[in-house]
Order: sequence, then structure tokens, then C-alpha cells
Amino acid sequence: MTVADTYQTDPVTGGPDGGIMRRLNVGTGILGGVVLALAANLLADWLAGDAVHEVDVRATATMVGWAVGFMAGLGAFTGPVRWLLGRDLTHADELFLAGKDQGEGRYFRFTTDHKVVGIQYLVLTMVMLGAGGTMAMLIRTDLISPNSGFLGPQTYNSLVGLHGLTMILATIIMVTGPFGNFVVPLMIGARDMAFPRLNALSLWLLFAMLPVLYSAAFLGGIPMGWVGYTPIADQGPAGVDSYMVAILIFAVSTAVAGANITTTILTMRARGMTWTRTPIFVYGVLASVVLALPAFPMFMAAEILLLVDRLMGGGFYIPSLGGQPWLYQNLFWLMGHPEVYVILIPAVTALMELTAVFARKPLYSFRIAVLSIIAIVGLSVTVWAHHMFASGWAPDLNGPFMLTTELISIPTGGLFLVILGTLWRGRIWATFPMMCTYAMLWNFIIGGITGIYLSDVPLDYQLHGSMFVTAHFHYTLMGAGLTGAIGALAYWFPKMTGRMLGDTPGLVSFWLVQIGFNVTFLGMFMVGLEGQPRRVVHYGASLHTGNLISTIGAYFIGVGMLVLLYDVVASWRHGKPASMNPWGAKTLEWTVPNPIPLENFAVLPVVTEDAYGYGEPVRDAPARAPAPVAAGAGPGQGPGQGGGTGEEART
Amino acid sequence: MRRLLGPALTILLGAAFVALIGWLLHQQPSPAAVAVPHQGAADSHHVYLHLATYPDSMAGEHGKDGGAEPDWVSYGPTTTLNVPRHSLVTVTISQYDGGEAITNPWFARVHGTVGGSETVDGKTVTGVDPEAVGHTFTIHAAPTAQDPLFVSVPLPAVPDEAPPAAGSDYPKPIEVTFSFRTKGPGKYVWNCEFPCGDGTYAKFGGPMSTRGYMSGTLTVT
Repeated sequence: MTVADTYQTDPVTGGPDGGIMRRLNVGTGILGGVVLALAANLLADWLAGDAVHEVDVRATATMVGWAVGFMAGLGAFTGPVRWLLGRDLTHADELFLAGKDQGEGRYFRFTTDHKVVGIQYLVLTMVMLGAGGTMAMLIRTDLISPNSGFLGPQTYNSLVGLHGLTMILATIIMVTGPFGNFVVPLMIGARDMAFPRLNALSLWLLFAMLPVLYSAAFLGGIPMGWVGYTPIADQGPAGVDSYMVAILIFAVSTAVAGANITTTILTMRARGMTWTRTPIFVYGVLASVVLALPAFPMFMAAEILLLVDRLMGGGFYIPSLGGQPWLYQNLFWLMGHPEVYVILIPAVTALMELTAVFARKPLYSFRIAVLSIIAIVGLSVTVWAHHMFASGWAPDLNGPFMLTTELISIPTGGLFLVILGTLWRGRIWATFPMMCTYAMLWNFIIGGITGIYLSDVPLDYQLHGSMFVTAHFHYTLMGAGLTGAIGALAYWFPKMTGRMLGDTPGLVSFWLVQIGFNVTFLGMFMVGLEGQPRRVVHYGASLHTGNLISTIGAYFIGVGMLVLLYDVVASWRHGKPASMNPWGAKTLEWTVPNPIPLENFAVLPVVTEDAYGYGEPVRDAPARAPAPVAAGAGPGQGPGQGGGTGEEART
Repeated sequence: MRRLLGPALTILLGAAFVALIGWLLHQQPSPAAVAVPHQGAADSHHVYLHLATYPDSMAGEHGKDGGAEPDWVSYGPTTTLNVPRHSLVTVTISQYDGGEAITNPWFARVHGTVGGSETVDGKTVTGVDPEAVGHTFTIHAAPTAQDPLFVSVPLPAVPDEAPPAAGSDYPKPIEVTFSFRTKGPGKYVWNCEFPCGDGTYAKFGGPMSTRGYMSGTLTVT
């Protein structure tokens, strides 16, 4: 008996092609979700009887039923079920799942092609940012005067919590979702992700999560802010159940996506793409998901314990029952601070990627960039308790956590300096994506320095829970993170859609958003320093002017974002067709034609150089013309200048 | 001009959407004051509790020497309260202690009592001056297998300059009376929400968080 006889590697592919899977889509998913939600509700009603937690049990069961039913109705479990039945998917089935020849319909199915998933992530992110932005406008409208009465206190608190949670979840996925899925496989020379079905699963789980999250608005809201602190969460209405189940679904989605992206990058890079030739954006995405993999299970654990408290009368967080709210805070922030870098690192590395292209210079000190990313990943799990300086937990540890927090500013500054060094004496092509790099540098220096203030224990005691903190994290997550994501969108838009993003509306949007943003949050720093607390609907009359300025700035952001939305939608529909490589970039995603073939590359590339061999700045300003430039093209090659190829075709 | 039409229309639609959501949320009623609904057999029982708050521990359950912490403020004569289910409970608290501004003015208002009010020396009020609160009597319900119960009443501060009453080490007390209805059986925690403890955790430590002083239990049987 040989080894080959013992271990069968070929799947069993009995049975005909197709079946019910070809009829499943988002519509059947919603139907399945509603049916199973109703069934779960009735079952929970029968089982819970008149128990004191009956409302929470029914609400939770209904939401879980919805999520499972939706995924089943969508077809997410078709592959595993067919495999269990001994009739694994055939090649034709796999092609169907990949969306071959399905036109627009593939965007509404459980499609495994990474490019489709990337686009779906992009749309989902935009929807979430739109929802969170709408809430932000309403919050700022309410704060336009000290006692505007526009929203009641309970509605205001719920809105602040939902806004915060929506924006955090959206910013976590805004780069690694759309661009990590669409761009990274192309960038590393792969045909798809390592686990295409898990890729689609991670996306559609988020889709299933949204109704659960927003059901909180109809179930009494979430009175405890986006952090979900106990004991308020223990005592809160059924909206807290929505919060818990949404986080559980999100955590599963990120775990699946994280494992998938990590495996893809580690095992599927093109031949010759050593770690020193791997583009910096790939490092950024890898760092983000590597951080997320241990971080989000912490959040999941926190919510599972809360679920036990609320559904079964447990006492993990209830002091009167021997519990401890600090346990929740520790579990939450063990996720919460790494999550900041889950958001920031991919956004900043996306800007690094495009800065090298638009400065026509190699990335300044690639090694410092990589070492900085590694240092941030390492240090980011050692700083969580700086969020708890004022909580009374382990005061003796405040000093060490202050030190680690201040230490992490060093590698963060390293990333900053790499971008500055890349810009230095570059021949700058001041496009919309490039403008985002400038904006990020401006915003991030304000966000970073105020972060150093807040890492100082005595100062944090003074500023904790104030609008100063709110302004600080908006400068980092929005001013740097979201700006980076917008830059990435403008940069990769031609590859994702085959069309150029309109420059004029893009720049109008850019200036509206950036001016509005700085007006809003510089104003918020002012009122925060004067003592305005977060999450409080009414404030002192002396803070009126600062809040009015912030609200006016926020309206500018809103208008700017709507202009950007128009630009994206209009350009997507009838924008100027993009060439294969409009920016003259050297990474592999620009070597495939538009539209990108299903399997990306006719022949898998072999990499012989790094992606930043721009050499000395060229004399001629780059022109926007179709100009395929292969990875590893000769030094100093701009668009339209041709150049040697660093690839070999290998079969 | 036509190039401006698309962005302008997008801005208008976006603003209209935000306005619509805002209008819908604006219709939400503000939360009313917590009111205990009438449940169970009406007036099947009517019980009375008489408590007092002291500036020290000499008159409560710790004995005349004040026990382990004689200088701690305390409720008396006991902090372990038992009342029947589905009953009207009328509580009278003799307040002997001084006070100052409360950290959270929300606790200067009455919540959860019959009529949403209390009487202070015979005068019916729905709250007291947040700048002159002595203590509060606040019953909390942890989310356990029991009916929710939340009652919170402020106790006005005795003026600092008030002289001792005849035959007593304490000044003439302020009499606060209120009623609430119990529901089904359960065990609840009650405490004072005025930061009257020691320096730990912004004066929420010490007697504030210690059973037998400014914290106790209410068992509904």
C-alpha cells in the first residue's frame, strides 16, 4: 500500500452540478433570516416561560436566529453541507460561486471571488459610514446650543453609542475589507484568497450584523456608549442584547477574515516576492489582521460573560453578586487599544504606498517602516490600561502603562518620518490621493501629540471623560485613518472600477472635509479643556461658542462627504475610463488589465525587485496615459516611458 | 452649471435624509420620571419603616461605642430591611447629618415613589436643592431573577450651624417620608448616592460601599 493509496487528496465530487445553490441570493437570505428569527423567537418564548430574563432571552434568540437563517438562506453553508453529504462542489459549482458570467448578480450572492468581495466590502463600509455620519450630524445638531431640546437625553445617549460603535466597526473594516480583499491578492501575485468561501463568509456575516446592531434603536437603545461598560450594560434595556449579538457576529467575521488574509499573505506571495520585496501595504494589512486575531476574541469573551449575566442571572460584572466591572473594562480594552492600530496601520501604509508613487521616489527606509509596524504591533497590546487610569483599577500600574503608551509614539513617529522622507525632494504629483497624505500628516501630528498628553497620568485625570478625549481620537481615527482610507479609495479606484475618480469633485470634497474636520475638532479640544464632559446632552452656557463652531465644522464635513459620495457613484457609472496603470505604479496589481480577469493573472508573475524602484526623480512630469509598468521596471521609469520588465512568465 | 447639479442634488438628498431621521427622533418622548406601577393585590399590606441617618456610628447597629469605625456616617437602627411582597411601604427617615452639593443632581430628585414625591418636614416636594443634600436613600435592582425595583429619594442636609437637640448629641432631624410599592419577592441593594465616604474613589469608598453603614439590603418576601 502506498502513501497515495492511504491519503486521498482529491475531493469526492459525486452528483450533478448546481442544485439549489444557484437559486440562493441575498433575497432568499433575508427570507431565511426572517423565518428562522420568528422560529427562534417562538422557541425562546416557550422555553423561557415567565423567567425574569424572558425579554432578553427572546431578543437574543431572535437575533441569533436571524443571523443563522440569513447565512443559510444566502447559501453560505452550501459547500460544507454538500461536503458532509459526500457530494462536494464540482468545478462548475466552484466557478458559479466565483461569480463567473453572472454580471451584476454576483454582487448579491455568496460570491467567492476576492474582487467581488472587495467591492461588497467597499459598499458595506460606505453604508456604515453613511449611517454613522448621519448620527454624527444629529449629535452635533443637538449640541448646537446648551439646551437645544432637539433630542431627549436617552435618545442622545443611544445615538452617541450607536454612532461610536458604527464608526468603530466601519473604520476597522474600511481598509482591510475593500482593499485588503481586492488589492492584496493582486499585489502579491495570487489568483485569489487562500480560503475564498471564508472570505465571502466574513463579508456576509457583517451584512447579517447590521440589522441586529440597528435593532437596538427599537429596543430601548444602548445607554452605555459604544464601549458597553457594565454595570450599566447589565441593567440596560433589550437594546444591549442587540449590542452583544452584533459584537459576537462581528468578532466571528473578523476572526475568519483575519485567518484568511494572514494565510493568504504568508503562503501565496508570488515567486521571488521575498519579505524585502513585499509592498508595505501588504505589511500593513498583515499587521492589522495579526493584531485583530487575538484582540477581538477578548471583546467576544467580554460580551459572552455579559450575555451570561443578562440571560442567565450570572454575576460576572455585578458587584452585589460578587462580580467586578473592572473585568469588563480590562477585557474590552485588551481589544480596544490594539483595535486603534488595526484601524491606523493599514490606512497609513496605504498612504505610504501611494506616496512613493506620487513622489516618484522609493519608499524612504523600507526597513524602518517594517520595524516600526512590528514595534507598534508588539507594543499595542501593552498599553490597554491607559484607558483605565481614572477608573481606580491597579493605580500602581499607571506608571508602567504611561511608559508603554509613550513608548508606542516612537514607532508611530517612525511611520510618520518614513512618509516625510519619501516626500523629501520628491517630484510630487499633487493628485487627490496625494492630498490625503498631506492631510493625514497634519491631522495625525495633532492626534498623536494630544495622545501623548493623555498618556500622562496626572493630565489624564484632568482630561478623562471630556470632549478633549473625543477630539483626540477623532483626529487619529478619522483625521488619519479615514483620510488614509479615502486616499486609498482614490488611488485604487481605477483598478477596482475601471474608471477614474473625478478629480474636481474629489478635491472639493477634500477641502470641505479637511477644513470642516479641523474646525470641528479644534473647537472640541477647546470645550474639552474647559471641562465639557462626553456623552452629556446638556452643557454649560459658557461652552456655547465652542460647540457652535464645532457644529458648523461638522456640517462642512457632512457636505464634503456627500460630494465625495456623488463623485464615487457618478465616476463609477460614467467616469473617464482608466488605463491599466494610470499612475505609473510598480506594484503587481497594476500589471493586470481592466476589467481584471477572473483568475487575475494569465501567468503567475515572478518578482525580481522591490516595488519602489523609481530611482531618481524623473524630469518629465508624469502624464495620465495608459502605461503598463511591470513590477521591477527599471529605475526612473514614469508612466508612458516603458521600461524593462522584472517579470518572467512561468508556467 | 450642469456639473454642479449632481453634487447639489446629492447634498440636498443627504440633508433631507438627516433631517427626516432627526425629525423622527425628535418625536421620541423624553423619559418620564420613574414611577412604580401599582401591582398585585392593592393595599394587601401596608408596612412602615423608620430609619435615621447619623454623622457617626454611635446610634446605629454598631452599638454606642460605634464599632470598628465610629467616625463613619451610618444609617440606623439597621441596614437590613425586610418588607412583604405586593405591599405599600411607607418609609420615614430622620436625617441628622449635614451635607453639601451633590455630585450628580439627578439624585437630588425623587424617583420611584408613589406620586413621585416625598415629604420634607410635612411639605410635599419632588426634589431638594442639589446644593444642600445630606444623603440619599436609593434602592437598586441588579438584573437577577426578580422584579425590577428602583427608588431614590434625596435627604436634605441639616444646616451646619444647627444646635444639638435637647437631650441628644445630634441636632433636630429633618423628617423625610415617602412610600413605594413592592412587587414580587426579591433581594435588593440600597445605598446612599451622596459621596459621603472617605477619600477612596472620589469619596465613594469607606462607609459608602460598606454594608451596615451607608449601604444595606432590602428583602421582599
